[in-house]
Parts: sequence; structure tokens; C-alpha cells
Amino acid sequence: MTDVTAAAPSRRPSLGRPGIGRWAKEQYPLYILLVLLVIAGFSSDAFFTSRNLTNLVLQTSVIGIVTLAQFLIVLTGGIDISVGSVVGLSGVLAAGLFSGSSVVLAIVVAVLVGALIGTLNGYLVAFRGLEPFIVTLGMLALARGFVYAYTEGSPVRPEAENFRSIATATIAGFPVIGVIWLGLAVAIAFLARGTVFGRRIYAVGSSKDAAHASGVPVKATLVAVYAMAGVMVGFAGFLLASRVGAGTPTAGNLYELDSIAAVVIGGAALAGGKGRVFGAVVGTLIFAVITNLLVLLNVSTFLQDAFRGGLILLAVVLTTFRFSRGRDQSRR
Amino acid sequence: MSQALNEHPRGAVPAFALRGVGKSYPGVTALADIDLEAFPGEVLAICGANGAGKSTMAKMIAGQERPSTGRVEIAGHPAAIVTPADAETAGVLLMHQEPLVIEDFTVEENVWLRRISSAGSNRPWRRLRRGGDPRTRQALDAVGLTDVAPDTLARELGPGPRQMLALSRTQVNEHRVLLLDETTASTTEEHFRDVLDLVDRERAAGVCVVFVSHRMDEVFAMADRIAVMRSGRLVEVLRTADTTPGAVIDLMIGESVAALEPLTLPVRPDEKPLLEVDDLAAGSARDVTFRVGPGEVVGIYGLVGSGRSSVARSIAGHQPRRGGRVQVHGRDVHARSPRAALRAGLAYLTEDRRREGFVPAFTNGENMTLSTLPAFASRGVLRAGAERRRVQQLIAEFQVKGGPRTLTRTLSGGNQQKVILAKWLEAAPEVLILDEPTKGIDVGARANIYEIVRALAAQGRGVLVVTSEAEEALVLCNRVLIMRDGRLVDEFLPATSTTDDLIRAALGGDTA
Repeated sequence: MTDVTAAAPSRRPSLGRPGIGRWAKEQYPLYILLVLLVIAGFSSDAFFTSRNLTNLVLQTSVIGIVTLAQFLIVLTGGIDISVGSVVGLSGVLAAGLFSGSSVVLAIVVAVLVGALIGTLNGYLVAFRGLEPFIVTLGMLALARGFVYAYTEGSPVRPEAENFRSIATATIAGFPVIGVIWLGLAVAIAFLARGTVFGRRIYAVGSSKDAAHASGVPVKATLVAVYAMAGVMVGFAGFLLASRVGAGTPTAGNLYELDSIAAVVIGGAALAGGKGRVFGAVVGTLIFAVITNLLVLLNVSTFLQDAFRGGLILLAVVLTTFRFSRGRDQSRR
Repeated sequence: MSQALNEHPRGAVPAFALRGVGKSYPGVTALADIDLEAFPGEVLAICGANGAGKSTMAKMIAGQERPSTGRVEIAGHPAAIVTPADAETAGVLLMHQEPLVIEDFTVEENVWLRRISSAGSNRPWRRLRRGGDPRTRQALDAVGLTDVAPDTLARELGPGPRQMLALSRTQVNEHRVLLLDETTASTTEEHFRDVLDLVDRERAAGVCVVFVSHRMDEVFAMADRIAVMRSGRLVEVLRTADTTPGAVIDLMIGESVAALEPLTLPVRPDEKPLLEVDDLAAGSARDVTFRVGPGEVVGIYGLVGSGRSSVARSIAGHQPRRGGRVQVHGRDVHARSPRAALRAGLAYLTEDRRREGFVPAFTNGENMTLSTLPAFASRGVLRAGAERRRVQQLIAEFQVKGGPRTLTRTLSGGNQQKVILAKWLEAAPEVLILDEPTKGIDVGARANIYEIVRALAAQGRGVLVVTSEAEEALVLCNRVLIMRDGRLVDEFLPATSTTDDLIRAALGGDTA
């Protein structure tokens, strides 16, 4: 047991905020990011230019939003490997249905597609008791199959001329798409830590049995999380199509792996019940920076994947150090 | 404990010996200073009430628990037994209360399970392909599973046959000590005969059989000697021929008169009952009818497998019920989930604290408010200040060690239980159902918990306590109902009864 303040009868430790020191001890991902930024700054003059940084934000925002969705699902102890396919499907449908004549309609289509698939995933996981991995694996193939069937392999060009405007607009030089990502991150962070719903997500993720026994509506919470994640992924699909200017059939490929890796590097436990939005955002940025840097340094595309893979392993190994030095070693 | 009682007429080398063995966990002494020997070709029964330390002792002999003091010796194996592997090489075979059967393996693979994993074989995989080995058939026949095909999946067997399947391993694993830990708790009369035959054959083959039980009929049918335990101590070792079931029960109970004052709260029989249960059937329980009035603490006392938990769990929405009626405040309640039960004013403190009691990743504060979160929120947004203030009150009120930010799972069992109690009382239930409220909890915290329960009753709420400890039932309750074989069979008032009465009633009248 932790008996830190045995002598003091006051409830000092209880009142305490976590304290900056303790917080700092748990920010491995942030340190990795900072080290990467320093390396980037020294190894490439092009890195800290406003053009490159804008580019970085543009490239990161879509996967960043997908990662936020993945974060919520991982928090429940689940996993969603269909996110990449859903990005693809919602993108091509947004650009293709109604001939892509209206941006508003395109957003509605993308969000509805995501919500539908997410709700179906959630229903199968919560009410049919199926493994999230298998459910979303099926959905991965299904959605990607629809994408290819709909596009017959070639990009879908929307009619609306302002289709790209969201992705290209800036506010005071900062890309709007990046503002959307960070705004969503703040909103999800509030949802997770500041609401009844968020508290229940953590409870369900840590122990479904205990949550159920405590009167938490476990199934409803699960379905709501998958549906919300679907909405975000669908919207991300629209943003990607908007950025590219077309719904491409391969859009979102491997987003599931990148988003899971970013969530885990950000300190969330795949077993559920543990993790912070801040970590997931930092995890996303780590990936973005290293990818960007490797491109600037002209590293071959094939080696880039190896670098990213090595980074995932390194980051995960680092988190184990944090665990073993933690205060409580009784259970993982 | 006296040396004379341990002596064996044949004067042989003991098959195993415990020398000054003790076992303590933080805050609890499970076993103290046990000296016991058992000999080849004899059947030794270990008897004791719930929590007397019987199972701990069996596990110790099998190397599954390490003794805190003293040592365990097995004949022909001079080194002290410390690990399960030690015990296995020394020839000790332990049959658990819950049969260790792998459901997705065939019956045959289950028979040979230990041999698969034994390091002795240099080609262990061959064991898996033992299709048609005649010894499998013999092993199954020997335990009465004559109509079970070796290639059946184990999951298709019922609890009784599963237990017998586990026992069939005695036929293929060499051993000189066989430990049966309440093996017959879930077997039927029919298999009971098979167990008897098996034990007889083992005895004839010179094996030392030790079986843990609180059922007097089987103890007297099988055992040569009876070791009686009470509160972690070995009280007496008797020769079966020289004693009677009544005498053994007396020893099991001892003179442990309630140390705490029994409850004499004014029961208010005139008032309408808070909880009315009629003809409830769930799990192994049936025809269960009782009332809990305002301010009343009602106990249900019974042995393992008597159906006592099924009653509590089905009322609280944790387990489906087959029939009957439950009313709270005169309103019908058929809770299909704990959430529904909670809405109807029923809270259930689980027996399985680690799995269902609290969320492991949560702090004390988060666990305390989990069931009543909307009360600390407006439109779904948590009011952090309100929650924190309430949690601090609760921590002080329930004397929980560690602050609001301590992880509940790092606390001792007693403090965890206080956190869970705080959570349920925060939900202000009409009736609080407590399932083994002080299981694995040290004496100090136990008194705390009793106080909390009494205070709740004094506020006019109803409390139902399900317990396997007679003393607890008498100390805590206004009335104690006795459950046996799925039915309520008797009722006692603490003022006019003893633990002795309760245990006898729960064991069954014929043994008295």
C-alpha cells in the first residue's frame, strides 16, 4: 500500500492536484516528440519553415481525427481496424453521391456513412458480444469492397467547385483543418474527463463486470462510443477527400495501424480504461514529424516504413519502463 | 496436536508430514502451528467450518501455497515441499474443489492432462495423440464414466461428470498422496458411490488419501481418522471408530461464543415489509419466501452450494430467475440488470470483490461515485467540486485508509469493502443486500462494517445478509434464515440460538 504521508493526519495528499512533477514523469511520448523536433531542426533546414509546418498540419489532421476516434474505442478495451476503410468509403460517397454538388450534402453523407457503420460495429460488439477485432475486421473488408465496387478503381471527382475550400482555407495562416482537429481533441478530452459519459467509458474499459455491477449501462455506452467514433471517422473521410480534391479508392489505407500505434504510443492501454487524449495527440504528432522528416531527408519510401515500425517498438518499450517503476506493481 | 493422536497403529513412515506449519497473509493468520502426519494406506478427513483453514492446508501439502513458518515433508522426498512441481515429483495429487478441466479438450486429453505438461516426457506431443489407448477407457470406467466416449468434448459434461473426469487422473498419474478438496461438493449421490469406491481402492493400493469436507456423512463413510480444524488451528485428530458426527461437529464449532454483542434492535413487525420475496426460484434455490422489514437485518446462512448466493443475486438482477415474485415497498420488481435493481431501490454488495466490486483503474473517489454519477453532474457534465467534497466526506465517514486519489485496488480487503459500501449507501437503496460482507477481511475492518450496517438499519432501511459464517449471522442479524439444498429450512433468533444451532441446521438434522 502507498503510505506516503503516514505522519500527517491532514488529508493533504487527497486534496492535491496530481502535481507538475508527477505529471512530467509520465510524459514519455512528449519527450520523444521534443527530441524528434530537435533532431528535425538540426538535420534539415527545411523543417522549421512555415510552408513545411503548414504541410505537416495538413497531412496530420485527418489521421489525427481518426486517432481520436480510435482513442475512444481503445479506452473501452476495444479496437477498430475498420477506420481506414470507413475513411475511404465516406470519402468516395461524399464526393460521388449527388455528384458531389454541395459541400454540405457531402459532409452529411460522409458523417451518416460513418455513423451507420460505427453503430453497426457497436451493436455487434455490445449486444452480440462479438470481439471488436473480428467485427471491425469484417467491416474493414466490407467497406473497402464497397469503395472499389463504387469507384471501379478510379478517383471520384466532385462537381462542387468549393469542395476543396475547407481543406485549403486558413485562419491567420493556420490551416482550418488543423483547427478542426485540435478543436475536436479539446472536445474529446472534455468528454472523457469531464462528463458522466466519459467516466463511464473509463469504467467500462477497465472492468465491464464491475461497471455493470455498479449500474453503468455498459451496452449503451459501448454503442454510443462506436457510433461517435464512426461519425468522426466519416467526417475525417470527407476532409481527406476535400484535401485531395477527389474521393480516391485507396484513401485511408493503413490508417487503422497508424491510429492504433499513435494511441498506444500516447500511453493508452489496449486492455482499456487507461489513457489521455493529450497522449493520443502527441502520438499522432510523433508519427507525423518522423514521416515528414524522413521525406525531407530523402529517405527511401521503403525504409520509411521500417523507421516507423522501429519507432512504435521503441515507444512501447519505453512505456514498460514507466510501468515497472510505477508506484504499484501488483497488477499491470 | 498431542503426539499421541498423531501416532499411527502401523507405526509406518508417514506419507507426508506437516511440521509446525503456519501461514499468514497481511492482517490474517490462515494457519497456525500445524503438526500433522498421515500414513500410506489410510484415509484422513480434514473437517472444519468455513474459513477454518482446510483448503489452505491442502494447498500447502500440494505445494500451491508456501508455508510462512515450518515445513512440509513427503516420504521419500526429504526436501521440503515448496512448489507445485516439488509436490508433483514427490507424488502428491491435488483435486480441487472446482474440477480443473479444460472445456475445449476432449475427455481423453483431459485424462492425460498432467502427463502432457509433465517434464518427464521428451516428446510430450505424442501424449495428445493417444487415441485409443486402452488405459483411457480403464481410467474412465474406474470413476464410473462408463458411458462417456473419450473423444467427447469436456464442455459437454455436467458438473458431476467433470469432477469425476478430474478424478480419473488418479488412474494415470502415479501418486502416493491423494488430496481431495471438497471434491464431492458438486457431485450427486450416484457419483458419490464412485468416489467411495475409488477411495477404497486407493487405500488398498497403499495411497494416503486426504479429503477435505464438512459433510459428516461422507467423512464417516470414508475416513480412518479425522483431523478437526477451527480458526486456522488443528484442534484434534480422532479415530473415526472412536467418535460420532455430533462430537466432531462440536469440535468444529468450539466454544466460540459471539465475541461481539448480538444485535437487539427493535424490530418493527407492524410496519409493512420493505422487501417481500415469494416462491423465488433461481439457480439451485427454489420456493424461497421471506420478508425484510424496515430497520431489520435478515441473515441467510448456508453452506457452499446451498443456493444462498443465487437468492441474493437473482433479487439484485445479477442472475435470471425461474419463477417467483419480488416486491419492494409493495411494488413488483423484476430486475434484469443491476442497473434496474438499483433503480428499484436494491443494492447488492458482491461476494466477488475483485471482479465486480470496484473498477480496478479507478481511485477511491471515482469508485465511490460511480453508481450515482448523475447526482454529481448537471446535464451530463461533472461538477468536479461537488464530487470531490462528497468523496472527502465519505472517506472520513467510512474511515477509508488512503485518500480520494488512491487506487482502490491497492488497498486492503477491508478498506476496499468500505469503498464499495460507501458507493452503495450513496445510492440510498431501500434494501441493501450483502453477500459475504466480511469475506477475507480482518477483524478491525469487520467491526467497522458491522457498525455501518447497523447504522443503516437504524435509519429504517432493510438489510439482507448472505453469509457462510454462523457467528457473523448471529452478531449482525435480527433473524437468521437457514438455507439447505436450495430451500429455506429454518429460522433462528440470535438471542435464543448459538452458532451450534445454525451449523447443525445447515448441515442437516440427521447428523445432530
